[in-house]
Amino acid sequence: MSLALRQTGALSRRALIRTMRVPQAWVPSLFFPLMLMAIFSGSFAQAPDRIPGFPEVAGFLDFIIAGTILQAVLIAGTSGGAAFASDIEGGFFDRLVSSPASRLALVGGRITANIVIGVAFAAFFILVATIFGARISAGVPGLLLVLVFTVFLAAAAGGLGVTLALRSGSAEAAQGAFPLFFALMFFSSAFFPRETMDGWFKTVADINPVSYVVEGMRVPIAGTGDAWDALLGLAIVIGLAAIALLATLRSLDRRLKGDL
Amino acid sequence: MNHAAVEARGLVREFKGGVRAVDGVSLSVPAGQIYGFLGPNGAGKSTIVRILTTLLAPTAGTATVGGYDVMREPESVRRKIGVALQDAAIDPFMTGRELLQLQGVLHGLSRRETRARGSRLLERVDLVGAADRRVGTYSGGMRRRLDLALALIHEPQVLFLDEPTTGLDPISRHTLWDEVRQLNTESGATVFLTTQYLEEADELAGRVAIIAEGRIVADGTPDDLKAEIGLPTLSVTVAREQLDAARGAMARFATPVPSGDSSVAIQLPEGAAGVAGVVRALDDIGVVATGLDLSEPSLDDVFMAKTGKRMEADEVTTS
Repeated sequence: MSLALRQTGALSRRALIRTMRVPQAWVPSLFFPLMLMAIFSGSFAQAPDRIPGFPEVAGFLDFIIAGTILQAVLIAGTSGGAAFASDIEGGFFDRLVSSPASRLALVGGRITANIVIGVAFAAFFILVATIFGARISAGVPGLLLVLVFTVFLAAAAGGLGVTLALRSGSAEAAQGAFPLFFALMFFSSAFFPRETMDGWFKTVADINPVSYVVEGMRVPIAGTGDAWDALLGLAIVIGLAAIALLATLRSLDRRLKGDL
Repeated sequence: MNHAAVEARGLVREFKGGVRAVDGVSLSVPAGQIYGFLGPNGAGKSTIVRILTTLLAPTAGTATVGGYDVMREPESVRRKIGVALQDAAIDPFMTGRELLQLQGVLHGLSRRETRARGSRLLERVDLVGAADRRVGTYSGGMRRRLDLALALIHEPQVLFLDEPTTGLDPISRHTLWDEVRQLNTESGATVFLTTQYLEEADELAGRVAIIAEGRIVADGTPDDLKAEIGLPTLSVTVAREQLDAARGAMARFATPVPSGDSSVAIQLPEGAAGVAGVVRALDDIGVVATGLDLSEPSLDDVFMAKTGKRMEADEVTTS
């Protein structure tokens, strides 16, 4: 078991090194969410005070941190999936498969790397937001809870990315997760509260599990909602991670058996 | 060794659409041998290597590598084999040393052990100076040499090299041949090598199988295979006025075969050892040979004899 862990560690280290050495692989997942955070918190600075029904928050910036982390983790999940797919395309994956390395480590390395990247980005966004005056309302325990959310969120997004890579074996197809992720994110309460939505959009956001995850994450950051919202969000994100990881293992099994 | 290093019985691999890339291949490679698997592009070489290295399940048939069944005991097989697949699939963003370190962990070696073996291997494949550079900056030959080092980190019993020199320039090719020969002699590892170059199989392999369209069409030592299809040809160049005399003398050994206007050629019935006798016979009647040319039948001739086609290897590209 400890060997499988060492192998997972070595493969995740390799995934991280590779990500760092290819700026295209990480700059977008850092830059776009940061830009959106700046634009939204500037454009809607007065939204919390002026829009009726907007949850009570210290500022829009506090409100949008959770959505920013979500966005970064989803983009990183897509890039991770694309990187995994190019390992398959280029033959590096065959090198791993033909070695006696733990089968779990083959996918575990990439997903672990995604978690590390997600947590690092989350910490960075919170730092930037703090510099611009946001405060984590639940203090250090709240920060830790946000990072726990991030871990499962990154595992879910990373798992989905790797699943698509294993199924398609093509980096281009794995990039196809991007529009799906974007739809999931924008048709949710990631950037605006469900309280201010109406009609079909609200129906979609009500059904979208991502809404509950972001709202749960927002509890310790912006002080919206209550402990129940946080627990519900946590339960859902753990569920999403579990589903994604099961899908990953199933796809791995199918690829190794040569069914794909 | 009481068992063959690689043994296959009736391997078949059918792909979607009913294409039979491998169509009933049986082979046996004794431990310690360099086994050349020769065939043109698309003959099924890589598919067989993928089956033997546990990357692909056969549609039918069985195979053992290092004594273990590739289907039932893939993990044990993976511990015994070193694999360098076609095109040297190496992450261009990593350095050679980083990749060696990773490969060691994948094989369960300790960090220290990997470092020690890695340094030795880097020295051996002459990559010490480039070890800390990203692989993306390596030349084709350097990549193949690193790939070889990666495949050797755990001291495998059986080494699979899938077209290790395809696309390499002649100098890099010869360097790699020397490496393969040397590690085979030193470590006693069995080498299963696929190639589309006749010269490569001839140069390296103790035993050669020729594969075409998913089937093995000939199997034996390079010399046996050549002997099977023909004898070496001796061609003697003489002055024009001595042509008839030469033809007469040489006809006593064998019927002359078509040759140039100023030479006489025969297939030597006793093989290359018969050259001296012919030269002496010519000397006895005062014929002066201005040129002698002995040409062995090539594996190309074998391929031609077995399949009715010439082997067409990819162009050698120098990069």
